[in-house]
Amino acid sequence: MKPELGLTSVPEWAVAVTTPDADLTGRSYTVFALDSAAADVVSSWRAQIALRRPDVPVRVHTIADPEAAADVLCAEVAGARVGWRLLIAGPAHACMRLRAQAVRMGVAHDELTLASTTVAVRDVQCAHCRHVTTAKVDLEELLPCAGCGVNLIVYYHVSRMLGAHLGFQIDAEAGPRVIAS
Amino acid sequence: MNDLDLVVSTIDDGIPGVRTLRLAREDGAALPSFTPGSHIVIDCGGVLNAYSLTGESVRPQAYVVSVLDCPGGSGGSAWIHRELAVGDSVVTRPPRSAFAPVLSAKRHLLVAAGIGITPMVSHLRAARRWDRDTTVLYLHREGRGAYIDDVKTLTDDARIFTDRAVFGAELLPTLATQPLGAHLYVCGPSGFMDTVVEAAVQLGWPPSRIHLERFGIDAIDPGEPFTVTLRSSGTTVTVDSGVSLLSALQGAGHDIANLCRQGVCGECVIPVLAGQIIHRDLYLSDEEKSAGATMMCCVSRALDGLELDL
Repeated sequence: MKPELGLTSVPEWAVAVTTPDADLTGRSYTVFALDSAAADVVSSWRAQIALRRPDVPVRVHTIADPEAAADVLCAEVAGARVGWRLLIAGPAHACMRLRAQAVRMGVAHDELTLASTTVAVRDVQCAHCRHVTTAKVDLEELLPCAGCGVNLIVYYHVSRMLGAHLGFQIDAEAGPRVIAS
Repeated sequence: MNDLDLVVSTIDDGIPGVRTLRLAREDGAALPSFTPGSHIVIDCGGVLNAYSLTGESVRPQAYVVSVLDCPGGSGGSAWIHRELAVGDSVVTRPPRSAFAPVLSAKRHLLVAAGIGITPMVSHLRAARRWDRDTTVLYLHREGRGAYIDDVKTLTDDARIFTDRAVFGAELLPTLATQPLGAHLYVCGPSGFMDTVVEAAVQLGWPPSRIHLERFGIDAIDPGEPFTVTLRSSGTTVTVDSGVSLLSALQGAGHDIANLCRQGVCGECVIPVLAGQIIHRDLYLSDEEKSAGATMMCCVSRALDGLELDL
């Protein structure tokens, strides 16, 4: 039985495609579109911001590569003043990864808005070898760890700092006989 | 309660209208350490008032508080100013804090007016000890500035103002140019705090980066009289203008836990069954206030016909 997901660390937008409105309280914005489907979300955000706060600067980055996105984000945060907002749209796992980069750099929860365009793919970190496996997998489903081969269950826990779900060996408590089989 | 029995070891009236007390144990033993920004609640001849601790925070030999004389207040500060002498015994609650420095902050921007400098002083001591990047904006009336020397000694970036307009002209560019990762701490009279917070919000500061220490020292509107019905007994209690619901309930024989009596601490929460509450506290969240299931009876009032689950 699944727990109430709202009581776990799994964000809503990682379970269902979610497109919140832009946060209109900012004084400058950096916006990431992480896949082609994110373009629509980003243009509606731009329209919302332009309507309410036509003078504030909005920089949009359309980047699919996670590492390139993380590098751009680092540069943006380094020059940001309080009043800045970060808006991210894209596949949930890519959003989660970029959010982790932001959180590690001290971006606050109320400076972040996330929109998911798909939620099928998850990053799952193995609790045993720490390898992160990226796969089309749902919560509670099993997947083999690409690092150590252990059969992982995708647990209802997301690390904000790592930007991944927790996976642990499904039969870890069953003893060595089962693991050997 | 684990109250502390302390003795007034020194009194300093160097700043007009501000009395600074050192409170120590009779045997001189160290007092409990406290988080920067902490206050203690002092029993001021029957009135409980909260005062920020401005002295050393690690195993201190004394708790130091500075008390502004508030002639129109509840009488606590007047008691300290007129009744208290060196050698007198004083009962306090242990230190507590809802105004601690955020340890992950890249910079600490402290903005204070008048006696609101007091919680900032312990912030500054900790900032100096831990080498934290700190800026202070301190507005005070000419000749009435408490802790000016400490503020100047404890930080390299102290900006002290006696002119409101000059302060205002400095505040906006300062708020506008803080690096992401900065946190803002504000203390002073309510109107001052509202002005600073309003300016910060206009410049896009998110709530998580704004921290407030409210003294609730401003006079509170006496309010309209109203009636309350108590579920257990079905009796009706009338709350007169200028009388708190807490006092009225106590007068009717109900024992209600309470502490600050300023709508800050959350101690006197009571369950509400029905009625129109006029929330005036600083404790309940906006969601809790609109839910209407609880209220802080020390400051909040209601329209006629309030029903309580007491």
